[in-house]
This record gives sequence, structure tokens and C-alpha cells, in this order.
Amino acid sequence: MEKVLITGISGGQGRLLARRLLESYEVCGVDRLAWEGRPRDVTVHLVDLRKKKFEDVIRTELPTAVVHMGFIRHFRGDERTRHDVNVRGTKQLLDHCTHYGVQKLVVLSSGYVYGAFPENPYYMDEDHPLSASRSYPEIRDLVEVDTLASAFIWKYPHIRTCVLRPVNVLGYFVHSMIGGYLREKYSPTIMGFDPMMQFIHEEDVCEAIALALQHGLQGVFNVVGPGAVPLHTAIRETGGTAIPLPEPLVRPIFERMFRIGLWPYPTGAIDFLKFPVTLSGKRFVDATSFRCLFGLEEIFESMRK
Amino acid sequence: MLPILSGVRSVARDLGGALLPLSLRDLEREVDDRLSKIPTRLNEFGFDPFGFSPAAVRPSALFAALLHRRYFRTETHDIDRVPRGRVLLIANHAGQLPFDGMMISAAMLLEAEPPRVVRAMAEFWVPQIPWVNIWMARGGVLVGTPENCASMLEAGECVLAFPEGVRGMNKTIDQRYKLQRFGLGFLRLALETDTPIVPVAVVGSEEQQPGLLNFPALGKLLGMPAFPITPTFPWLGPLGLLPLPVKYHLYFGEPLHFDGASTDEDAVIQQKVDEVRRAIERMFARGRGERRGVFF
Repeated sequence: MEKVLITGISGGQGRLLARRLLESYEVCGVDRLAWEGRPRDVTVHLVDLRKKKFEDVIRTELPTAVVHMGFIRHFRGDERTRHDVNVRGTKQLLDHCTHYGVQKLVVLSSGYVYGAFPENPYYMDEDHPLSASRSYPEIRDLVEVDTLASAFIWKYPHIRTCVLRPVNVLGYFVHSMIGGYLREKYSPTIMGFDPMMQFIHEEDVCEAIALALQHGLQGVFNVVGPGAVPLHTAIRETGGTAIPLPEPLVRPIFERMFRIGLWPYPTGAIDFLKFPVTLSGKRFVDATSFRCLFGLEEIFESMRK
Repeated sequence: MLPILSGVRSVARDLGGALLPLSLRDLEREVDDRLSKIPTRLNEFGFDPFGFSPAAVRPSALFAALLHRRYFRTETHDIDRVPRGRVLLIANHAGQLPFDGMMISAAMLLEAEPPRVVRAMAEFWVPQIPWVNIWMARGGVLVGTPENCASMLEAGECVLAFPEGVRGMNKTIDQRYKLQRFGLGFLRLALETDTPIVPVAVVGSEEQQPGLLNFPALGKLLGMPAFPITPTFPWLGPLGLLPLPVKYHLYFGEPLHFDGASTDEDAVIQQKVDEVRRAIERMFARGRGERRGVFF
């Protein structure tokens, strides 16, 4: 039986994936936080990806496959720590993969790396430049992680490496930025803007990762859900109320509130409420015949307050 | 939304509808009927993948239908030549404001079988304007990147392009019915996506706002693509933007199919573009010969 190591296993997405993979793989994981009430046959090691102890885990567990989703995606902590954990952690992981005979690697990046811009075409493919740092410097670490992993594909072709870029992930367990935003009773939006947004259910993201492992996919793939709706429709359908605010007012206020910790999102995120970032999932569907189980209505249903 | 508020709103809408003249109500019903027959696939929330929504576009469609029937009294010729599925409409562009695009859209909605939503391509700065960007997306307009145009065509939509661009729109009245230089991009896209081209001649728009002079430098200063002087603009202020009630004639040509590589040299592409131009010019000649006057 193949052995999979999941980084960030105690997060919502990690737990779901561990349970999903348990039928067909031996599953272990690493995280900085414990997973209380995990299934008996899952081992979780409490380590920091940047530390030598993580290498020890890989050396003793000797996984044949690794799913890398141990990233800090929120902005509550120190900016430098976040960058270091995400980028150096990934670099260490990639090095260990080359030394300890890992055969398959799946890196869970995100669709945000393309960035939100007025000139974005609809349904961008994987070759579109990753420009997020131009307007949203706070997530440049995620762009760097994606770039590191994509370069790894060509440097070590004998390891089946796959970078997945899912669209906005929603669901009961997963803690995504967009999920937190839609879970609020009142969601501030930018007056006069209502971009199309794609969503995917957390279970379908698990399914996509499982498919990538099963097929031993190599390459970069957008992972797209059942469709797109305007932002205001998504807010309404998840049971919230949109509060449209004028941008010239919102930007400086949110910037100050973010700096003193009263507001969880940096101002770079505002552009994602203005311009569409829509991806084409054709390449992934062609490679795996992936089909989403959850439709838009079910996705929104899972987010109702 | 409070239920009572939406109740009041629906009563107000019914009352307003009842007070409209009978003919307008008929037009309203016709527009609704045509909008419901558009073959574009919508999701469970009533949007297509690019943000087009028949429900949201209804007021502007009604306005366009009014202009089409009453103000410009548009006559369409051979609209049945537009094939089903993907197609690129190529038309002349004139008259300072893009009423020509609006009238072609209205004709495709009201006269074509089945009714089609015309996907126009907008300038890059349009998505940055509040509200305008929403209105544009709900009406099926996209930013004019080659990727967007290609994905529209691959989705089997009807795309309208004016290869003259502002060169045509802001030309002066002495240049009427003289086609300006055509861009080549549309033909490369047609070759790449194997799309038939239907040339469209708009007769009438060229006289709707006779440009006497144009000061592009002044326009640039004001953030506009041109600064035209017409008999009414800028003298009458915003009122001067109103077009003359000319009579519109739309001529749809035979679909043109082109073969070849989309990466060919400009000279090769130019020959094919010239073929489209000549088709429009032939329809100009026919249209101007047939009409009795600019206003009738």
C-alpha cells in the first residue's frame, strides 16, 4: 500500500483529505497543531516544516507520496513568519522529496496567484502570468511557493509533481479567506462592482487531489468547480447581506484597521471584489475526467449561517 | 430584503406597467419573449459564464428596442444570412456614439431566428468604471482581449467587432461611407477559431451626428478618445449628444469563410480583410441607392 504524507493535516482541508485517502493509502501527516479525535490509523507529527525534525519524520516514515498544503493563509500573525513558513518550508519539503525517494508530490496552490486585474481575460489557462504580487504584495509568498513547485516539475522529472490551483474553496470545514468573508452576516463590497466568481466545494478539492495522486499527474492544473456567479449573488445565496461601500472611503479605512488588527484582510484583497479572476479547468478535466459532485446551490447551502 | 418592501416594489411595477401606452406594453412583452428564446446556456442563477443575464439586461434591451422601432425606424435586410453557432459580425463604425452597435444588437434580438445576444468587445478601461462594468457584463459585453473573443466564439456566440475602431466612429461628415483603415486582428481570430464572418453595412449611422471637426488632442486631455465638433456638440451640452432621427438600414452579407494560417504575414491577411471591406462597400452602394433620403 502506498504511503501518503500530508502537510497541514490538522487543517479543515487536511482532515477531509486524510479521511478521503484512508481507504486506499496509508496516511500520516505533519502540522504545527494537533488533530484531536483523528482516525486511529492516522499518525500526526507535530513539527515545523523548516526544522530538522521534519526531515527526521520523512526519513522514518518514508512516504511514497506527499501532499503539501501546510501553508499559513491568514494574516493574523507576523508577515515575515508567514513568508518564511510558506516559502522556506516548501523549499525544505522539496529538498527532502528528492533525498528520500518520494515518487509523487501534489502541491495545493490557489487560483489567487494570477491576481485580480481589470484586463484579466475570462477563464485564464495555466500559462497566464502569476501577477498577484503586483497589486496584492501580502500574498507574494503564495506566488513564490507556486513558482518553486512549478520549477521543481522540470528539475526533477522523475518525481511526479503536480501543482493544483483551485478556485475559491467553500465548505463547512475549510478555513479559506473567502469562506470567512462569506460567513460574515454583513459582507462589505465595493460600490459599483460585482465580478463573476467561481467556487468549488471542499470535498471536490479532496477528490481532485485524490485523482492527481491516482493518475500520478505531472504539471500545473487549475481546478474549477461547477460554475460562476456574481459576488453579490454569492453573498445573498450564503445568507448574508452585501454592504456596498465607496472605494475611496474603504481603502484607507480598511488599511488602518488591518494594521491594528481590527480587520482580517489586507487592502490588496479589495481588487478581488472588483475584477473577475476566472480560470479554465479544461486541462485538469482532460487529464483526469474530473467532475464536481457539488453544484453551486449545494456549495452555498453548506455556507448558510 | 424585507418582504413588504419587495411587495410594494412589485405593486409599483405593475401599476407603472399598466399606465404605459398599449404599444409600449406590447413591445415590452415582445422583448421578454425574445430574451427568453436566446439559446445561450444559463446556470441555475440565471447567468452565463461571462456574467450575461437576460433578467438584468431587460431595461436596456427595451430601450434599444424603442430606438430600433421608433426613433431610427430600422429596416434590416437578409438577417437570416447570419448562421447559427459561432459567427463574427464585422460592421462599419460611425456617428460619434455607438448607436450602430446598439441597433445591430437590437436587430439580432428582435429580428433574428433564434434571437441572439450580440457580444461586443469593450475597451480596457471600461471594467474600471463603477456600475458601467456591471451593466456591460450583464449585457454580454466583454473586455476586448483576443482570449476573450476566442472563448466567446468557442462557446458558439455571436461576436460583433468594428475593425475601424475610433478611426471610423469619430471621422468627419465628408468621410461618410468611406471605410477607414481596418485592423487585422479580427481576421486572424476568425482563422484561428474557424469562424464565418458576416459583413454588416450600417446605412444611416454615418449621418446621425455629422462631425465637422475633430480635436483628438483636446479629447486626450479630457480622457476621451476624440473631441468632435458637430452642429449640436458641444454647443448644446449633453443635449448635443442626441443623434438626429435618421433612418437606419442594416444590410447583412453572405457569410465569408476563410482558409489559411492565422500566423500569416500582414500582407496575406490584408487581402482577406480587403474582401470583407469590399463586401461592406457593395452593400453601401446598394443601400444608398435604395433609400429615399437620410430621414425616410
